[in-house]
Amino acid sequence: MSLASIVDWDALLTVVWASLVAGVGASAAYGLAILGSTRAVDLGRDGRTGGATVFGAVGAIGIAIVIAAIVVGLVVLTD
Amino acid sequence: MEGELLTVIIVVATALAFDFTNGFHDTANVVATSISTRAMSPRLAVGYAAILNFAGAFISLEVAATVASDVVDPGSISLLVVFGGLVGAIAWNLITWFFGLPSSSSHALIGGVVGAMLAAEGPDAIFFEEGVLGNVVIPGVVAPTLAFAVAGIAILVLYRIVGRLRPAPVTRGFRGGQVVSGGLLALAHGTNDAQKTMGVIALALVAYGSLPAGDPTPPFWVIASAAAAIALGTYAGGWRIIRTMGSRIHKMDSAQGFAAQGAGAAVILASSHGGFPLSTTHTISGAVIGSGAAKRLSAVRWGVAGNIVVAWIVTLPAAAAIGALTYGVTRLFGTGWAGPLIVSVLILAGSAWLFTRRDHQGSAVAATSET
Repeated sequence: MSLASIVDWDALLTVVWASLVAGVGASAAYGLAILGSTRAVDLGRDGRTGGATVFGAVGAIGIAIVIAAIVVGLVVLTD
Repeated sequence: MEGELLTVIIVVATALAFDFTNGFHDTANVVATSISTRAMSPRLAVGYAAILNFAGAFISLEVAATVASDVVDPGSISLLVVFGGLVGAIAWNLITWFFGLPSSSSHALIGGVVGAMLAAEGPDAIFFEEGVLGNVVIPGVVAPTLAFAVAGIAILVLYRIVGRLRPAPVTRGFRGGQVVSGGLLALAHGTNDAQKTMGVIALALVAYGSLPAGDPTPPFWVIASAAAAIALGTYAGGWRIIRTMGSRIHKMDSAQGFAAQGAGAAVILASSHGGFPLSTTHTISGAVIGSGAAKRLSAVRWGVAGNIVVAWIVTLPAAAAIGALTYGVTRLFGTGWAGPLIVSVLILAGSAWLFTRRDHQGSAVAATSET
């Protein structure tokens, strides 16, 4: 029996891409959230409200992506 | 029939004891990174992990189905085989816990069951290729490698994004993130590991005749009791292994802790959905090493990492040998409850001896707080 027929490669490849997308994607989104919130505070303190608003939005989008990733992941698992 | 009922009660109690030791043994995998980066206090991290372990056990049954029907032939299973497998796993967990090695409870369980089945029925009753190799060994190699890669890529991306920011808010941000990523990791641990015990109890119920061999889906009381046992074990904690996982592999910052926990949770949850009974220990170890190696190869204490790899390799055959030996010893007393009862008493006595010896050597909690 060959290795190809022993392993459920479809399931294993799904694990690989799902882990990469969730692990790297959600981490990057959270990094953007930190970037956005930190820069928004710094720019706001300097009175640069336009830049602060843009970075605040980046931070909010980052957090929204993380929450969405968690919710989607849990829904898929419990399905 | 009454004798068989007593045997199944002993086997289920042993399975729940294994589940407790699994939680106890694996707590470190879940909480060490949060403690190491000071995202949470040890007590808080352990309590939080226990609650999410309990919740995680109710999420899915894919792994339980794999353990109950795809590793050994459920039609050939007996209560003594299940008992032998459980004792093999418990004994190996206790030995590795005593020496502070984060070996795999999951591989110990599967090794124990395979060893006991081999002694009882021979190789024909074991699904070596699709079951052991396809569902356990290959995913068991892929998972830590994948976690290593995901954590490594994630930390490189994170450093690229936040590298030029002031360190204080970044550290605060990632410590906050670790509350979520650590929680997800605990949930993932409960999902994958509690299901292995559910699968083994399902095998015992098949042997007893209260579940069909063709569809050994665990009933609700099995799910709830397995969830409670792993949560209690997690709360009791594995301080000795926390020390190894949290600081001995490499010193990590909060971004690395976040990346490692996120990668570990992603791999374990995705694997649980695929029904792969992988080792949470292997996976989070791979992620911890990956997050360190991506920053600087020399940051990883490769000697400690190497010891962990050796423990991984030895786990399957060692637990299989203990499982086979236990089956042989219990069979000396016939097929009834006497053998399991005597072996259970011996295991309890051995556990008490190990705990006493550990206490004499001093608590590892103090050592953790020194790092």
